[in-house]
Amino acid sequence: MNTAQTTSQLIRILVAIIPGYDDDFWTADTELFGAIAEFDSMAIVTLIGEIEDQFDIELDDDDISAENFATLSSLTELINERA
Amino acid sequence: MSAMSNCHAEFYQGTEGQLFRLTRTPSTINAHVIYIAPLFEQANQTRHMSTRSAINSYKQGVQSIVFDHFGTGDSAGELIDTTLMLWQQDIVVQIKAIKASSSKPLFLSVVLSAALLLNNEILSLVDGVLLAQPEFNGKSFTRQLKRMDIAGSLVKTHTSQNSEESFDSNYVDIAGYQFTQQLLDELTKQNINKLSESSIACSWFEWLNASNELAPSRIKQQQALQLIYRQTEFVMVEDVKYWQATEFQLAQQFLQKEQQAISKLLERHKAQGQE
Repeated sequence: MNTAQTTSQLIRILVAIIPGYDDDFWTADTELFGAIAEFDSMAIVTLIGEIEDQFDIELDDDDISAENFATLSSLTELINERA
Repeated sequence: MSAMSNCHAEFYQGTEGQLFRLTRTPSTINAHVIYIAPLFEQANQTRHMSTRSAINSYKQGVQSIVFDHFGTGDSAGELIDTTLMLWQQDIVVQIKAIKASSSKPLFLSVVLSAALLLNNEILSLVDGVLLAQPEFNGKSFTRQLKRMDIAGSLVKTHTSQNSEESFDSNYVDIAGYQFTQQLLDELTKQNINKLSESSIACSWFEWLNASNELAPSRIKQQQALQLIYRQTEFVMVEDVKYWQATEFQLAQQFLQKEQQAISKLLERHKAQGQE
């Protein structure tokens, strides 16, 4: 899966978890952690579960960091590293 | 008659204390459904759908019972005083009480982590099970639970909130839920292989993901259950994962499919009675 495909699938997951935004809100540059009020601990853990299921990867607890969850592109990078 | 007219709220005696339940009883009862709440935050994330589902059951002529586990919701006790076995015994007590006064079939509605409460005794007492995206993998569930703590610390650090450290190794405090290490260990050990073969009828509702595929971990769980419960029917749901969204959502397609599944379970039970 290339970066664009990963980002696209990630956006589909985020739209389902945080449905209160228009589709065009979500781009590779969208800031997540600390920028979106709904992006709380529950949303982070739900997102991790969906990422593991849908990309068939396993994330370490150490991966749960402000840097990795800063933007959609940083998260895409993490997924591609673990795939 | 409105859907709420026969809604009865009461406290009844559980194994260790008074438990709260809401019972919706139609004028003619065709069957009973007990809604087993999932654990911790999942209970809050699914309550609105359980209520919808229970009202639908009532309209179908099925008595619905929604209750709070010991130490949760409006029931007596503290979460810190509970064990997995206690929650399971409370379910058994409730099933036996219904069966003592009714010959109608009894089904369980089991959502997400509520599947971790199922054991052979419970399943031997009921006539069918409705499983909605069940989580049978205790290890996976508790791993996610522990991650809540890590993610919570991250958010607290970001917003400069102070986190209180727990110094007693017998207890855990995750996302505001305080319970024993024993309960966490018991839940972690739960898995599908603890269940024995049975001819019980199961309807398993599985939500397809964004790419309309099933995750390998989900397929693995389905295959494992089908080896034990050969009468399992898998129903794919293309609807919102209502328990995940940061705002309340209704999964209408699921509600419809669930009603159809209850009708099927009733027909199956009737056919078995005529054999």
